[in-house]
Amino acid sequence: MTLAAHLYRRMMRRGRVISLVALSSVPGLVLWLVAFDSPQERRAAVYPEVVTSSGYSFAIAVLILTVATLRDERDAGTLPYIYMKPLARPWFAADSILAGAATAATIAVAGWLVTLGAASAIAVDLDVALSGLTLFVAAAVGYAAVFVPLGFLVPRALLVGLGYVVVIESIVASAVEGVAHLSIWRIAVSIYADLAPVFGTVTAQTILGPVVPGAGGGMAKIGAILLVGWLTLTWALRRRDAV
Amino acid sequence: MTDTIELVEVSKWFGLKVAVSEVTIGFGPGVTGLLGPNGAGKTTLMRLVSGLQRPSQGRLTVLGVDPRKDTDVYRRMTLVPEDESIYERETARRFIETMARLAKVASPKERAAEALATVGLTDSAGRELGKFSKGMRQRAKVAAALVTDPEVLLLDEPLNGTDPVQRAELIRLFSELGRTGRTVIVSSHVLAEVERMADRVVAMVDGRLAAVGSVATIRAAMTDRPRLFYVETSGPRVLGSALLSTDGVLGVHLGGSRLRIEASDARALAMALPRLARDHGVEVTSVYPADESLESVFRYLVGSR
Repeated sequence: MTLAAHLYRRMMRRGRVISLVALSSVPGLVLWLVAFDSPQERRAAVYPEVVTSSGYSFAIAVLILTVATLRDERDAGTLPYIYMKPLARPWFAADSILAGAATAATIAVAGWLVTLGAASAIAVDLDVALSGLTLFVAAAVGYAAVFVPLGFLVPRALLVGLGYVVVIESIVASAVEGVAHLSIWRIAVSIYADLAPVFGTVTAQTILGPVVPGAGGGMAKIGAILLVGWLTLTWALRRRDAV
Repeated sequence: MTDTIELVEVSKWFGLKVAVSEVTIGFGPGVTGLLGPNGAGKTTLMRLVSGLQRPSQGRLTVLGVDPRKDTDVYRRMTLVPEDESIYERETARRFIETMARLAKVASPKERAAEALATVGLTDSAGRELGKFSKGMRQRAKVAAALVTDPEVLLLDEPLNGTDPVQRAELIRLFSELGRTGRTVIVSSHVLAEVERMADRVVAMVDGRLAAVGSVATIRAAMTDRPRLFYVETSGPRVLGSALLSTDGVLGVHLGGSRLRIEASDARALAMALPRLARDHGVEVTSVYPADESLESVFRYLVGSR
């Protein structure tokens, strides 16, 4: 946990956090703007529609943050200080992903609080918005499991990660059924869709495509992604040069 | 004495570039100076020993284990990296305490305070590392290494940026660590620095071992090697032919008013030159070495193996 705490502290630099919170707040701001054009009875349904469809800005914020977990240390030349410590590589990997997930979740909570504020401003039943936290946190954990190892392994991890979010998650996953099942955002939405009381069938189909709403299945998928990310990072720490 | 660090036929390459080539050597307790010009492979060798990089070939053990496989070795081994990088926004105290906690040191606060005192940073412990001078950063890095009380201490150019007083203090500290049975490897490209603290010197050039031995052995090898000098004179032809019959002069090349002299004994040349100039009535306006860099010394040592 000492390593996770160290990495978390290092990543949560004031300037970076402010800009990424702003980026992850986009769904909340869009929600607030869209609500002006919506009749009162439609506003409850607007929340899941807007938040799930504009959530890629949140994914990008999490990407920027989590790829830096070990990449920052590597680029700054400080990785030897933490790598050369008596910490078995599986624990090192677990701590790193935990730190990435914790920072991403911090941004997630901030982004979600903005949506909550927007929801209360437009007089939407807050039950709709409260369950939105699961969407942000599940996505944060899933993305951290992918982007933390990516940051350690790939020199241009941010670019590769952007390619994944923009091309794979938002374009290819919409067209290819198999890829949609592996889309972290869709998995997170599938959890939220199962929990949110007003997540309409049409909206679910639009966002999720072939992915079926289900909190249990979604969490199992996130768990599997975490496992793969952890195994990959453990392997990389053992087999690849640290500097 | 048993070696605490053993390398057998260790090589490391990056694509087509060979950084370390078939190095077989052992390091035991005491201070060993790892010498070589920039790009000789010293840092890569340090990184291999510290487990930060995997050998492309060969076998390497530290305290009997492969550092890539057994991370418990890091309770007993630390590295002071060459890079200036350090956690700029952290205070020295927090940095050292974090390092102690990560190394699972008992009483990390007390040990951190001791390490800071050892390198003379107690008064600056509350300042951010980013506001430290280069020398202070170096000392903070050394404190981070000392906080674990390691048996094996790897120091990659640890005296960079330090002033003469700090340098003398650190040299005294490293010598003391060596005397108390720790294995200390100090890399440097300055022989004079290494000479003041190392019992043994390992010289590297182009990724290969150039020489291994006591400082006196290396110093003798440096002194005995043929050396090139340029001599500006009013009578190059006369002085050149006179020099050819002088002991210790291996060859003379004439080029305008300048002579290029290859000498096996620089001292003998220095003694003979003014005498010959006076005897032949020529004026010598300047004498200077053609290549006195440490790199040329090491290249000579490599060539003589």
